[in-house]
Parts: sequence; structure tokens; C-alpha cells
Amino acid sequence: MTAQVFVEQSSALPLVHMSVVSRNGAAYEPAELAGATRFTARLMRRTGGGMAAEELDEAFDRIGGSFGVDVGYNVTSFFGTTIRRSLDAFVETALKIVANPTFDAEARERLRRESAAEYTESSNDDATLARRWFRRRFYAGHPYGRSVIGTPTVFEAIDDAAIRRRYDAITAPDDLLFAFSGDISESQARSIATRFADALPQRSADARPEHAIWPGPKGRHLTFVDKPERTQTQILVGTHGADPHDADYPALHVANTVFGGTFTARLMREVRSKRGWSYGAYSSLPYARQRRALRLWTFPKAGDAADCIRLKLRLLREWVDEGVTAEELAWAKSYLIKSHAFAEDTASKRVWFPVDVELVGLPATFHTHYRQHVQSVTLEQANAAIRARIDPANLLVTVVGTEAEVGAAVRDAIEDLDSSEVVAHTDEC
Amino acid sequence: MTTSPKPTSIAGVKHEGTYGFGAGLRLDAYIFNNGLRVLLCEDHSAPVVAYHTWYRVGSRHEHQGKTGLAHLFEHLMFNETENLGPGVFDRTLEEAGAESNAATWLDWTQYNIAVPTSELALVAKLESERMTNLVLREPQVESEKEVVANERRYRVDDDVDGRVSELLWSTAFTRHGYSWPTIGWMRDIQNFNTQDCEQFYSTYYAPNNATIVVVGDTDAQSLLPLLSEHYAALQSASVPLEDVRPEPPQTERRVSELPQPVPTEKLSVGFKSPALGDADHLAVTVLAEVLFGGRASRAHRRLLRDDEIATDVRAFVSPFHDPGLIEITATCRDDFPAERIESALNEEIERLKTEPPSVEEIERATARLELGQLSGLETVDGKASTIGYYDTVLGEPDASLRRVDALRRVTRNDLLRVARRYLVQESSTVVYVRKSAPEEAS
Repeated sequence: MTAQVFVEQSSALPLVHMSVVSRNGAAYEPAELAGATRFTARLMRRTGGGMAAEELDEAFDRIGGSFGVDVGYNVTSFFGTTIRRSLDAFVETALKIVANPTFDAEARERLRRESAAEYTESSNDDATLARRWFRRRFYAGHPYGRSVIGTPTVFEAIDDAAIRRRYDAITAPDDLLFAFSGDISESQARSIATRFADALPQRSADARPEHAIWPGPKGRHLTFVDKPERTQTQILVGTHGADPHDADYPALHVANTVFGGTFTARLMREVRSKRGWSYGAYSSLPYARQRRALRLWTFPKAGDAADCIRLKLRLLREWVDEGVTAEELAWAKSYLIKSHAFAEDTASKRVWFPVDVELVGLPATFHTHYRQHVQSVTLEQANAAIRARIDPANLLVTVVGTEAEVGAAVRDAIEDLDSSEVVAHTDEC
Repeated sequence: MTTSPKPTSIAGVKHEGTYGFGAGLRLDAYIFNNGLRVLLCEDHSAPVVAYHTWYRVGSRHEHQGKTGLAHLFEHLMFNETENLGPGVFDRTLEEAGAESNAATWLDWTQYNIAVPTSELALVAKLESERMTNLVLREPQVESEKEVVANERRYRVDDDVDGRVSELLWSTAFTRHGYSWPTIGWMRDIQNFNTQDCEQFYSTYYAPNNATIVVVGDTDAQSLLPLLSEHYAALQSASVPLEDVRPEPPQTERRVSELPQPVPTEKLSVGFKSPALGDADHLAVTVLAEVLFGGRASRAHRRLLRDDEIATDVRAFVSPFHDPGLIEITATCRDDFPAERIESALNEEIERLKTEPPSVEEIERATARLELGQLSGLETVDGKASTIGYYDTVLGEPDASLRRVDALRRVTRNDLLRVARRYLVQESSTVVYVRKSAPEEAS
């Protein structure tokens, strides 16, 4: 077969970056085994060619190489970097991981125990807890609401057959893309990609289901994650946001830059600069194959949590009702167009543009004509996009804090609250 | 460096010398009459420029009761100046497409801006403006104190790893300025006033206490006249002699306990380590990499794979101007007590003193360090950070590349020597993180 290969050459440093990317990710795993794809990819990394995990690590370490795995909802990536002189040895070891993992039972059991312990430890981080519960509740019932990393219950349930099914799914050759950047020629890159594609069993990718578009929250809801001894709160406010396939996506992207996309955007100015309530205050508008949430993130001290939520909801409402001004729009466009230089200043960034287009199913000019797309946004388009896509009446607020101290005030701060729940920070999510 | 200082075509600017900086790149050092140091590394691989301003003042220059002032000041530098109203500095930079941030640590304060090449003149104008024309008013100081207090809650008070690190350093150091955290104690943050800030500014923010590092798509012919226009007239300051407080030798093990609402116990251990400029520093760095670097390291194999008593173990060797710590942190798995990890760790440390790392282990460690160093040089920002860091801490802007070359000369004997010299229980500090009892938690 002919592998789909993307190359961006640069001899500025004696480094080569390589990614083997599958179009199959966590959104396509069985709901009852959420986390199985990541577990499988990690087990591949630990059993390639029948080698032990530490032998594989040592093989990369001693040549000046690194190799990791990453799983998203629509993507599984095997990626690494090596010093140029060690490229051949790097590829040999990477091939073992991608094309010949043995899924050794002892390694599987070890990873099962390790994953459970890591999950327990991860509850130490309040920002992680907030994001985890937000995702779970915001996309409840949709694959985007599942856990990519898995839970202790799932780690127990994953068996060898499930692992091999996920392996087949994420390594089907016609689902793979290869990206190379750095000190490597195009012919070298193509030759390496062909070696990978030829080493894998020649099977076709299973048809992936198109998941129903998730409508987003109906009404206003609060999930309070109760954790003791918090001096501060982590607050996420989310409503449905962007889909890069929308014609008005560039307009919404520019409008969000005005609202909460930079250090001087409205949100930061009102929350941090004027009131000093939170070290950070941003709104993010990520994109994927399907519409994702617009998410506002702040972390004020406990005593300011309720006022901060009140302010955020007011700012959100004003953004929708009043839109952005011509001056703000001109500033945001200038920022986005000029700062795009830093999205393409290295080979490893530039090679990702066509890969992203393929993986997310973006318009071909999404990145190559980014500046033109931004430049063409008018004030009317920006404000129409906000009104069409952002709905302050339907949103989810997630708070991590000490419920006994701030829970009641937080509930009072959210007008027209339709439901609220309190979960423990130790609950599985 | 290949030459001695020579005049340039720009009045009041001398060329101090040239350093090699990897394949195809070089680093030129200049000095202005007012003491401003400039380092230029031309890199035309992309139409962007990194412009970093390093001030030779960090939290070690503070005093008890005024801790966190250098960091608070870093925040204040983004406020009003004589010629720029509140918020204009950041807004103008963003409009120019800039990526801008700042950082403070024990030895320095750094302001980094990266822009498209076409905006370089704007950056020089803005950075020179805030070097001497900052306006400090009470409302801004009060508001920024609240922001910093919130940053402290985020990074320390509600973050167990932040709490542990703070306790470890304040226990390990009794006199030196490294004993307090860069962000400062909360009571000090809340007590600062405008006068404290004004005094700090006039003392440390001056051209003769700063280095500007420029990396990217420009050259000396463009850069030097620009910098001369904006900086040559600035007055140098009388920077006081540092009130050096050498840390007395630690002769007994120090132990602290920290109850926290954590699911498992944690352990942090600090051994006194050499300064970045010490001849032993590189060997200690390699030693730590052998013991803790990656999953093939001795500690990972022992604690995570063989004994299965930890979910994580890592170490950090202080890259500081003065002696610091080899800071080791580990998280227990399940209900294992922190002492169980400590015991296994100590066995591995003692083994290092009798079985020095093999040649293969040293090669593995040095290859990892080399990869890490190269990876940090991919962007103009990465290069400027590396150059500025080593120039400010050591006075040697090309030291990072020379360290990579020197890695290949580290021997088993070196590692045996530094293991026995620095991994000494009697001069260690230990923090045990215990699970809060339920009544404490509620």
C-alpha cells in the first residue's frame, strides 16, 4: 500500500521527529471499556518485539531518543524524537512497538496495577479534577464524555481479547498517517513509512460510526466537586462552542479572542486586572471532528468564588447580547494574523498542518489560508457567530472546592439554576 | 570567546567577543557605555525574533519580611509607565502578534517577548520604557498583590507538590536566601507597600543590571542602532553589593511532616548540591540522571517495577548560582508508608557508593541529557532562554553547549566521587507527606 506521508525538512538541528498517527481513538472504543485504547497503546509501548518495558526505554535512552503514545477521542499517536545519528536504531525500536507488540500477560497485569495507582494519585490535582468532571457531565451519554485515561473499574475489566481488538483498530494501515520533520529527507521519510506500513498486518480499517451530534446541556447545571481544605476554587463554565466545519468558525474564533483568548481580553481584564480575583482567566474554544464546548476557566480564592461566577456569567451574557466592538475586532485580527508566525516557525509545527486537516476533516485551506480567513471576518459576522453559537441559558458550571464553605454561595450565584449535585473528589469519574 | 572588546560603528557600544553556538550559529556579545549587556544570535530560519531581558536580581537578593518582592515586581512591570497608560503595554504587544511572558526565580528575573521580525523596533521601545519609566501607584500594587496571593494559593497552598517543595527548602536552608520561596510567604505578599516597590525598582532595574538577549531573524547592523536609540541614554544605577549569607554546612539530618488531604503518602528528600558553576555540577547531574532519569533508571526499576511501592519518582539538580539541592520526590502507591520508599531509595543510594554506574548507564544518561538540551533549542525562544540563563547565572552565555561537550568526559570515577561527597544522609532533609486524618480534613 502507499502510506500517507507528510514531511517538513529542516537541518537547523540534528534532530528528527516522527509520528505514526491513527484516525482511530477513544471515541470508537466500547463505552463499558472507556480507556481501553490508551491502555492498549501504553501496553504496546511496554511489550514491543517481546522486549520488557525497561529494555525498550533503555534502547531509546542510549541513542538519544524518546518515544511516547497519546490517545485522543479521534486520534491515537505514536511519536518520538531522536538525534539524527541514531535514526536507524530509533526506527528499529519504534517498529517493534507499533508492528510487533506481544501484550505479555505479566506486563499487562503490571500496567493494570500501575494505571489504578496513577488514577488514585491524579485526584491530587484540582484542575484535573475540574476538567474530568466537566467533560463527564457536559458530554454525558456521548463518547466525548467518556474517560480517555480510563478508571480503576475499566482497568480491571480489560482483557487480552479487548486489547487485541483495540490494537487491530488503531493500527489498520489504511487508517495511518506518517509525519516527519527535522533533519530528514523526503525519500528517507517515505522509506521509513513504507517499512511501518509493510510490517503491519494488511487489513482494512473497520468502518467507524459517525456519532450523533451532541446537543449540549439543556438549562443551567452545577457539579460541585467537594474536596477538603481548599483555600481556592477551580471553576469551569461551559456552553456549546465551535465546530471547525461551520462557515462561521473563523468569526467565532476571532470573537472568542476578544472575549477570553489573550492576556488583555475582556475576561482577564475584568477578573484579574481590575479585581485581582484569579491568577488566570481564559475562555478556550477547542475544535475537533464534532462541536466542542466553549469553556471559561478561573481559579479564585474560596471567598471570591461566588462573585467570580456571577461576573463570568454576566460577561458571557454581555458578550452575546452586545457583541464585540469594531476596535476590539481589529485588535484581535491583528493579534491572530501576526502571531500566526509562531504556529509555523519550526518544521515540527509546520508538518502538523496537513496532518490536522486530514485527522479533523478540515477544509484544505484551514491552516494554509489562516490569515486570509481571519482577515475576512467582519464585525457583523463576528457578532452573528456569537449569537448563533453561544447560549448562556444552557450551560454547565463545575467547581472544585470545599462545599461546606462555599457551596451555598456558589449555588446562589447561578441564576435560573436547574440542577445541582455534589460529588466527592474521590468518586470515580 | 575569540576577541577582546573593540569599538563598533555605534558610539558607546563595544563588541566584547564572539562565541560558537552550535552548527551554523554564533553568538556576539556587546556592552553599552551604561553597562547594558547585549547578546545577539542571528537565526534566519523563520521571520521571528525572541527578545529577552534578564535582570540580575531574584528572590535570593531579598530579606526575611520582604520575601516575594522580586516576583511581585515581575507582575508590576506589566502595568502603567510614564508614556503608556494601564494595560497599554500588553495590549500593544498583542496587537503586534507578540508572545510575551516573564519569570522570576532564585537568581534572576526575566522578561521574554517573541515577535514577527517586523515588530522588533516596537519591542525595543516598550522594553526600554519599562526599564526606567514604570509608574507605581497604590491601586495597581494592591490589585497585583491579590493576583500574586491567588497565584500562591494555586501553586502552593492548594498544591501538595508546591507545599512539599517549599517546606523542604525552608528546612534545608537556614541562612541563605534560597530558604524562602520565590513567590514569597503569604504574610509578606500581603504586607508590601508602594514604597517597597519603588525602592526595589530604583535599586535593581537599570541597564547595568540587565542583559538583553536577541535571537532570530535580525543582524547587528539592524539591532545595535535600534538598541542604542532606546537604551544608550538610560542612566546606570548603583547596584548594591549582595548581602551574601553563605549557608553553614548541614551536619545532621532534618525531618518534617506535612499532613495533607492526599490519597497516598509522599516523600521528598533534599541533599545539598554544588552550584551550577562548580566543577562537580555536571557529574552530579549525570549521577541524578542515572538514578532517576526515565523508566530505565535505577530508582524507577526499583521503586516502580520491582517493589511496586511508588507511582512516581523523580529528581532535580538545582542549576543555581549558589549551592542548592538534589531534590528527590516520590509518591507512594496504595498504603505503603513514605518510609518504605525512603528505605529502598537509601539502599540504591548506598549501592551507588560501592557500585558506580556502568559505562552503559553513563552513556544512557548523557544521551538523554544531550537530547533534552537539543530539544530546548528548536525555537528562537528556547535559544534565547538558554543563552540568557547561563549568561545570568554563570556569566557564560555559551555554557550550555560546552556542558554537552563536557558530558562525554564524565567518568565512573567522577560519579563515585560525587555520590560519596553529596549523597550524605547527615546533610539531608526529609519531608514526609501524611494523609490528613478525616477530622483534620473536615
